[in-house]
Amino acid sequence: MKTLETSSIGKAIDRIDGRLKVTGMAKYASEFPVENVVYAQGVTSTIAKGKITSIDVTEAEKQKGVIKVITYKNAEKLKESDEKRPAFTLTSVAPVLQSPEIHYYGQYVACVVAETFEQAQYACRLVKVTYEEDKPDIDLDKNRSKAFKPDDQADYSRGDVDAGMQSSDVTLEATYTTPIEHQHPMELHAAIVSWENGKVKTYASQQILNDAKTAIADTFMISEDNVQIIAAYLGGGFGSKLNVHKHLIMATMASKMIGRPVQITVTRQQMFTNTGMRQFDEQKMRLGANKKGELQALAHHTTSHCATDQMYYEACGNVSKMLYKTPNNAVTHRLIPLNLQVPNSMRAPGEATGSFALESAMDEMAWKLKMDPVEFRIKNDTQRDLGADKPFSSRLLVECLRIGADKFGWSERKMQPRANQNGNWLVGYGVSAASRRAPYRKTSARVIADMRNGEVYATIQMDGTDIGTGSYTIVAQTAAEYLGIPVKNINVELGDSDFPVTPGSGGSWGAASYANGVRVACKNLFSKLKQNAGVAEEDEVALEDLMKSSKVTSYKVVGTAEPSEEYENHSVFSFGANFAEVWVDKDTGMYRIKRMVNVGSAGKILNPKTAYSQIIGGLTMGAGMVIAEQTQVEPHHGNFITRSLADYHVPVNLDLANIDVVFLPEEDKIANEIGVKGIGELGITSVAASIANAIFNATGKRMRDLPITPEKLIEASLEAGV
Amino acid sequence: MRPFKYINATTGEQALQAAEQHERAKYLGGGTNLVDLMKEDVEQPDHLIEIADLEYNSIKENKKGGLTLGAVVSNSDTANHPVIRQKYPLLTMAMLSAATAQIRNMATNGGNLLQRTRCPYFYETSMPCNKREPGSGCGAKKGMNAKHAIFGYSDSCVAVHPSDMCVALAALNAEVEVLQINGKTKMMPFEDFHRLPGAQPEKDTNLDKGELITAIHLPQSIYADHYYYLKIRERSSYAFALLSVAAGLQIKNGIIASAGLAMGGVAHKPWKLTKAEQFLKGKSPSEENFQRAATIAMEDAKPLAENGFKVPMGEKAIVRALNQAYNRKV
Repeated sequence: MKTLETSSIGKAIDRIDGRLKVTGMAKYASEFPVENVVYAQGVTSTIAKGKITSIDVTEAEKQKGVIKVITYKNAEKLKESDEKRPAFTLTSVAPVLQSPEIHYYGQYVACVVAETFEQAQYACRLVKVTYEEDKPDIDLDKNRSKAFKPDDQADYSRGDVDAGMQSSDVTLEATYTTPIEHQHPMELHAAIVSWENGKVKTYASQQILNDAKTAIADTFMISEDNVQIIAAYLGGGFGSKLNVHKHLIMATMASKMIGRPVQITVTRQQMFTNTGMRQFDEQKMRLGANKKGELQALAHHTTSHCATDQMYYEACGNVSKMLYKTPNNAVTHRLIPLNLQVPNSMRAPGEATGSFALESAMDEMAWKLKMDPVEFRIKNDTQRDLGADKPFSSRLLVECLRIGADKFGWSERKMQPRANQNGNWLVGYGVSAASRRAPYRKTSARVIADMRNGEVYATIQMDGTDIGTGSYTIVAQTAAEYLGIPVKNINVELGDSDFPVTPGSGGSWGAASYANGVRVACKNLFSKLKQNAGVAEEDEVALEDLMKSSKVTSYKVVGTAEPSEEYENHSVFSFGANFAEVWVDKDTGMYRIKRMVNVGSAGKILNPKTAYSQIIGGLTMGAGMVIAEQTQVEPHHGNFITRSLADYHVPVNLDLANIDVVFLPEEDKIANEIGVKGIGELGITSVAASIANAIFNATGKRMRDLPITPEKLIEASLEAGV
Repeated sequence: MRPFKYINATTGEQALQAAEQHERAKYLGGGTNLVDLMKEDVEQPDHLIEIADLEYNSIKENKKGGLTLGAVVSNSDTANHPVIRQKYPLLTMAMLSAATAQIRNMATNGGNLLQRTRCPYFYETSMPCNKREPGSGCGAKKGMNAKHAIFGYSDSCVAVHPSDMCVALAALNAEVEVLQINGKTKMMPFEDFHRLPGAQPEKDTNLDKGELITAIHLPQSIYADHYYYLKIRERSSYAFALLSVAAGLQIKNGIIASAGLAMGGVAHKPWKLTKAEQFLKGKSPSEENFQRAATIAMEDAKPLAENGFKVPMGEKAIVRALNQAYNRKV
């Protein structure tokens, strides 16, 4: 009898889909060959608030190749929300072209369908829309009186923050801002949609197929059984592809109306206005501590904006409920409706921005206390999530900080800013602590075992998606582990909504959920085969022997994994620490991130290679938040003046220098049976603060508004005591 | 994109003829700016005249000791040309700080001079912009102008010229060779090539309709030992300058015999710092004199509502560029 191979999980193998991707064989949404396909393009509004008074489509319709121009006048009636400002969810309906009302600049006002992409795009320019324009609400300051509390979870308090502040020896009150940012995956949002016998089939770049299915079905008021979504590969999502956006509904409507398959690709310019964004956040922090450096009070108040017709908020303050020990704690979130598109999830929503405020404030406190920022954090560590009033399933934050400090050479840091100078450069070190919820959700998987030429091959099917993170590879590794066969014998099929249901990829839940779903499916396969073969459940028998002895050549089984009660009784988070060395030019305000060390504790690492890639991606996005990423709104017209990747700056390789990533060996069996936690968003969390803190250490300038650009550094003044 | 017709010219004469025949024709060099602008509907040519195959495709040393850069030579080939690296390293440094390797491979020297502003109001066709649509107003003047001009702007336009190469060419006192409609060649001093916006911001240069750049002439090299191009920007590559300084110094017997100084990102054209150049001539290359030159250079600056930072930043950048140029070990 062969022994089971149990070492596939944890190996740093190459991506099993890598070759397909680099050779162009991996098909993305817009690349599927569909016969008789036509092309749709959206026409967008050039005002931010008002009403369409007329739309002249004559010239557009006359153009060669143009099949139809759809406007609110001739559009198919779609399901709309009953509420005035419905909350944005992952299954929200996405009605489009239903009324003449304009809520934001760049809103779709018409859809042109033509034989070619170029014809459609040109004809879009010829659609003449006239408006009755209202003065848009663009400025946050001028609209503060409209601030509202979005829901019951928006506010939290424990103890008495005011009393805690009063009894503190050292206090801080500071406001931090982060700008509007955009996800901008390399792969543009795109879809090909066709209708047949009342059923919709769409190739679409979506992260969560089951939720997208619900959204499409609800919007068109059809049964979910009549919707199939295929998303075999995604060129990134970063949260912008979690939900269904209006272009997909527009293409689906167009296909239904003209009876032909319709392809739509959202342009990069339209991706600023129609596929989500991170909103501007203003975070007011209040911290108090005694002389020993023990936090006595921590308050985190966030004001941001939502759309006038839809509501969404990222919970920036949640990190302040759980990261440190403090008897007095308060968190609030307020929203101001503006004439901008509804924001949505982007790269660790809440954590990425919230941790910038909290971890900057912690650095400011450490400076006021004249304490080492690493020690200050360790002093306020907690093994219990005081906000949720639950124990952590595991928490190795102190270890991350200690090991990171050691690896980074933190002991070389001078507490006094401007004390480390090298020619024209001011050199600074910065640290931040990171935490990110590591959810695990109900997941199903199908395993099909086949006997071919005396060897067992297996196919895994799930409606999960690979957004570029390596899902195909970790699913194959998990299946190989639990089936006891080599990875090369595993065929993974993802991204078809007809496959067993998963929570999809997003929110750092993909890896834990997929791996456990596959684990249960594989275990079920063994159980069934053992039953058939009359082998006792506890006997260890190789899959090949089982199939041979019971003369089974092919067997198919579905398994479903679900979070345990223990999981529900704990707070499950991944933790980490970031260290950054930054060199700031003393005159010009230009700076370079010279190196970063990131230490993470995220349970069992399924594949160190893809995990490493995710963390360096996260660090890059965190660096982007600091260096340059921001979308600017024109104050009079309400359009974004950053409208291509030439204006919306993300980091280049030269901006990043040396990155060292360490994973602490850990298995969190409370989190789930494999002990794996998500790392999709851990990497970005608090990176911005570590860099900003390093800039303070270098220059003595406290930069509280992202991004930190040369002009801001030039204009900033030195902090008191520097 | 609007439909257009494509003409492949093989001689300068053919190109001129085609341009004369078609009122809304444009010359196509590398297309790195023009094609983008066509996709955005900002440029709406009915004909594109391809000039890549014209004879202006070499870099030659001329008898007077200068250098002639063909108009259709790529930015990459120009920046990396051995003679330019050796005798005009300021130009190499400026050119390699621009865009990306891929764009520099496509972009031509003539095209670099003719690239248009990156002002967001110019790019967004629904916004007012006198440069794109004369008479529609200037959105940036009262709108977002952090990246706009502090020198030489007018009520009708506050845009800046985006080129790095041109800043170096201004410092180097280059000349532009132009083929006129009558078939004759004329030479334009670099300072007279680009223009300030005045009441006609739609005109970026003093070229007449249909005229074709054939070459750029560099005078004899005098700044090969002491030069620096300082580009201040948000990220390390693929970003336009918030502000840049090209500095060249000719030092004889410990005294500045000649200074070439120009700034980018501050005006509708590469901004030559003539007064500062004159001040430095005959002075010793000291920190004090560099500071004085910088103060003189920034005296006329009139920042807009959002770009006040450019004045102290510009002053520091000039001092830094001069220091770097002077201290450069050959």
